[in-house]
Amino acid sequence: MYDAPKLENAVEQKEIKFSARDVQVYYGDTHAIKDVDIDIEDNTVTAFIGPSGCGKSTFLRCLNRMNDTIDICRVEGRIELDGEDIYHKDVDPVQLRAKVGMVFQKPNPFPKSIYDNVAYGPKIHGLARNKADLDEIVEKALRRAALWDEAKDRLQTPGTGLSGGQQQRLCIARAVATEPEVLLMDEPCSALDPIATSQVEELIDELRARYSVVIVTHSMQQAARVSQKTAFFHLGNLVEFGETGHIFTNPEDERTESYITGRIG
Amino acid sequence: MIAALFAFVVALAVASFFVARYRAQAVSGGRPSALHSRPAYHGFYSFLWVLLAGVGFLILLTIVPNYIITTTLLGDIAQARPDAPYIEHQLILSDAKALAEGRVASQSGELRQEIAARYASLSATWGWIRILAVVAMAVLAAGATQRTVTLEYRARNRAESIVRILLAAMATIAILTTIGIVVSLIFETFSFFAAIDWRLDKFLFGTTWSPLSGVHAGDMDPDKVGAIPLFAGTLMITLIAMLVAVPVGLFAAIYLSDFATKRVRSVAKPMLEILAGIPTVVYGFFAAITVAPFLRNTGDSIGIPIASESALVAGLVMGIMIIPFISSLSDDVINSVPQALRDGSYGLGATRAETMRQVVLPAALPGIVSAALLGFSRAVGETMIVVMAAGQGANLTANPLEAVTTVTVQIVALITGDTEAETAAGPAFTLGFTLFCITLLMNVLAQRLVRKYRETYE
Repeated sequence: MYDAPKLENAVEQKEIKFSARDVQVYYGDTHAIKDVDIDIEDNTVTAFIGPSGCGKSTFLRCLNRMNDTIDICRVEGRIELDGEDIYHKDVDPVQLRAKVGMVFQKPNPFPKSIYDNVAYGPKIHGLARNKADLDEIVEKALRRAALWDEAKDRLQTPGTGLSGGQQQRLCIARAVATEPEVLLMDEPCSALDPIATSQVEELIDELRARYSVVIVTHSMQQAARVSQKTAFFHLGNLVEFGETGHIFTNPEDERTESYITGRIG
Repeated sequence: MIAALFAFVVALAVASFFVARYRAQAVSGGRPSALHSRPAYHGFYSFLWVLLAGVGFLILLTIVPNYIITTTLLGDIAQARPDAPYIEHQLILSDAKALAEGRVASQSGELRQEIAARYASLSATWGWIRILAVVAMAVLAAGATQRTVTLEYRARNRAESIVRILLAAMATIAILTTIGIVVSLIFETFSFFAAIDWRLDKFLFGTTWSPLSGVHAGDMDPDKVGAIPLFAGTLMITLIAMLVAVPVGLFAAIYLSDFATKRVRSVAKPMLEILAGIPTVVYGFFAAITVAPFLRNTGDSIGIPIASESALVAGLVMGIMIIPFISSLSDDVINSVPQALRDGSYGLGATRAETMRQVVLPAALPGIVSAALLGFSRAVGETMIVVMAAGQGANLTANPLEAVTTVTVQIVALITGDTEAETAAGPAFTLGFTLFCITLLMNVLAQRLVRKYRETYE
């Protein structure tokens, strides 16, 4: 059914990055997220799994306030990043998003060159003092996204000309280049073929060393392969949250068990 | 008479539909699946044939006899009055027709009465032929199609091919009309160039435009058909219009697509579209009666003389006219930039303005440029506003505060002027053809840009 979870990943307690309490999300009259409490650790890959429409992407988008761009969406409750309420009125969502990077389901490189795609964030946030600085940031980001070797000779060609998997790694490089503290990934592999998927999964595992990574996925195998913590969402509720190995081998809730054995979803 | 015949054909067609349908049902013997085509298709097939045969002959036997009668009678008149000019022959004929139909004729006389009598008898004969032929053809078609109602007959396929041919014929009409207009433009342009001894350089680069000043002597003076002042005037007004329309239209589109709330958008967008629906003649007198005096008075009060007809007034108002055109097209392209690109940018901590400027606008740029080009070609061809607000004299100047004239204004002046249409048509058609070439070029360019843009994003 799924790959054997890497039990050795279940390690010591880490620092808590995101702490959410009693979070409710409404789309107009629809109550999309109900009473979610969760602590997301640093240097950990946390996977959100659950059937379609269960609210996992919605909750992910609460973490960097991307839901602000949707008019009818309303968020209640408290979400803290490093102990600070991100929905406090003094918090500028633009600054928050610089700290909490996001990678989307479909690769969405800008219609610019590979170089400019990666340099976009650093330029906006003034991270580079001069061209040499910027070159260095771009190279570092591309290396971290394991794209440097493929892209170094074609930095000035359009990012849209890359293959699907390369585009997604470019988007990861783009997110990494702004030096975020957390990386949110909304089904980053759903538009990719198996080879590209395994490249991106490897990358996610490497990114864990520097960032807290939250990944939404439809694939339970993927969750088992890349994450240390897994949260199972169902109908807007956070049903179960714990060590990935534990969730997949010994789920406590009936609904979790039904989902991972393929009976719901 | 024609109306009655037409009504008969339609009635017969409808009746034929019901009969054929009924017969098809009867033939199937209560098992519809035994028929190749459903009963309604047999009905429709019959209906189409009756209509085509009836209406086709109706049209044919209205146009052809008219032509035959006219030629015959003109021949008779020419025999009776061989020395009179052709135009008088036509006058006699039209008087005779009026007499025959009991209307008031400009003149009566023996010849006219005689022709009138011949006209009456000829048209009566042809009238009867028409009635008989139309009725016969319609009934024949009805009978023939009733015979085809059988189990195997492919009425559906045949009816569909008839419909397809009809649709193709309609499309052909549109295309042929376009080709016809272009060909006649080219033809007239050539004859005009022939009249000025093929001095194309004089037309394209000459600076004096007064094409009709020599026509009473019987020829065109190549030195007086220089179209430069016209092109310069057109260009100046168009540029002023674009200076108004592109920034206003583009920023309005940016605001409406990405910054306005839903409610503002739902009110403002239709309002802009209403602006596009105002007839240009209204803009024209708005320019001449409201804007021009206002500008002149303002100019006077600060010591700048502004002519009451000026390129500035025409350009400003034309710019306002083009705003909705540009804003609506730009809004469409900006909206069609995928939301994923915006999300990607917001997700990196970019503000709305940064996202718009660095991601959305570059992605939408080809579409915006093509919107501007389409606006440009509209401005070049716009007539009413410049006729009322720009002036008539072919005045070569770079000062937008003076009166200038445009290509379109001169075409209007030539065609509505006192000079015989046939003489004035030469320069008018040539100007029209030049205008057509310019707008065609712009439109082709715009479409190419749009296509390039679509290839990237769909």
